[in-house]
Amino acid sequence: MQLYAPTSTTPKRKSVRAPVLASLDGARIGILENGKLNAEEMLNEVAALFVQRHGCTVKKLAHKSNASAPAPSTTLTQVAQEVDFLITGLGD
Amino acid sequence: MAAASPRIHEVPDDVLAAIDFCFDQGWTDGLPVVPPQVDRVKAMLAADARPPETVIATHPATGLELTLHSAAVNAVMAGCLPDYFPIVVAAFEAMNRPDFNFHGSTASTGGSAPLLIVSGPYADKIGMNSDVNLFGPGNRPNATIGRATRLILRNVFQMLPGISDKSTQGNPGKYSFCIAERARGNPWPLLCEAQGYPKGTSSVTAYAGGGFCNVENHGGNTPEQILGSVADAMANYGCITLGQSVVILAPEHMKIVGEAGWSREKAQDFLFAAARRSVDGMKGVGKYRDREYDTQHGEGAHPLAAEGFLHRGLKPDDILITMGGGDAGGHSCFIPSWSRGRGSIMQHAPIRERT
Repeated sequence: MQLYAPTSTTPKRKSVRAPVLASLDGARIGILENGKLNAEEMLNEVAALFVQRHGCTVKKLAHKSNASAPAPSTTLTQVAQEVDFLITGLGD
Repeated sequence: MAAASPRIHEVPDDVLAAIDFCFDQGWTDGLPVVPPQVDRVKAMLAADARPPETVIATHPATGLELTLHSAAVNAVMAGCLPDYFPIVVAAFEAMNRPDFNFHGSTASTGGSAPLLIVSGPYADKIGMNSDVNLFGPGNRPNATIGRATRLILRNVFQMLPGISDKSTQGNPGKYSFCIAERARGNPWPLLCEAQGYPKGTSSVTAYAGGGFCNVENHGGNTPEQILGSVADAMANYGCITLGQSVVILAPEHMKIVGEAGWSREKAQDFLFAAARRSVDGMKGVGKYRDREYDTQHGEGAHPLAAEGFLHRGLKPDDILITMGGGDAGGHSCFIPSWSRGRGSIMQHAPIRERT
């Protein structure tokens, strides 16, 4: 008996990690908050640790209007031009 | 990037062994499936005139694509007959729209499942149930179309429980959640008509449903009493959000509402106005947020949104109401939406019959 596999036939997307930053000292931070309760507060606290320990500066606070959907590519493209790294995560 | 050819597995000519093979591959929802034997898949595909490699939905985060072929394989596994396939296809064409957000609604702790509501003559043509035991078992198209939807989310889009589906508790609709709208005795235009499809065209509406809330009322005999109890269910503290609503009125309840001359729009207005909680009450249970209040009462607020209250949804037509179920019993239902906000907006699509 021949059975078809029920899985997708889409080839696996090739994705690569961004290169590791040479140093965190003085780096510019972006924050992407997802709109959930306490998300902004939690991410700001995390960012404050980088400011305190590495002399980073918070350059950009971006928002997602829908917590459960990927961030719009325009948001990511814009943020990427202004910061060295981005902090994001789930708030609730 | 071009899709690879569908993969074929050779298994012994033993149906029970083939069922076990499907279990072993992790292809099932925990129940046995019909082995997706090649000839059965081809018969399923014959229900759609387009090439099998036609893409009907794409996962927004992973890029995984759903082709007609993959949909047909899962439809066979769910137990669908080829006549049911146009509904499965239409459901994913609706769910593929970004506003439905099928990734979020499946991945979320909220635990929703796509509720499919089939409206129009195609439901009768394939023998769907819109009557007694509407959400229960016993009808092949209802059960298997809903199941196929879930198997596609699992097998094609890899929304796997505990891995990419993080539902805290889930809900029983995650096995199957598909009904037909009842036309017999329904005083209102069918959903497919209200949605603007040409006469004779059926539709499927997809809604990220967060569970099932029975609304029992055997004593009410006015629209205000019946819909008042529905509104109370919609506004319970555990359910109230800015999200949309689905309300399926039992025929007994619909008779009371319809014979009083209430239109669907009047019922929607009533429910929107009545399904609310005070700001103080919301604060009392820790669910109040300025941002949500401002969304409902800021620019463009609906005139029925009362100051000092949080209503369910943003406007009356966020509430889908129709009729379903058996003749006897004062049991309607409210299906809460997934998410505490506007994370998923219901969508509908026409069912394309191959002629």
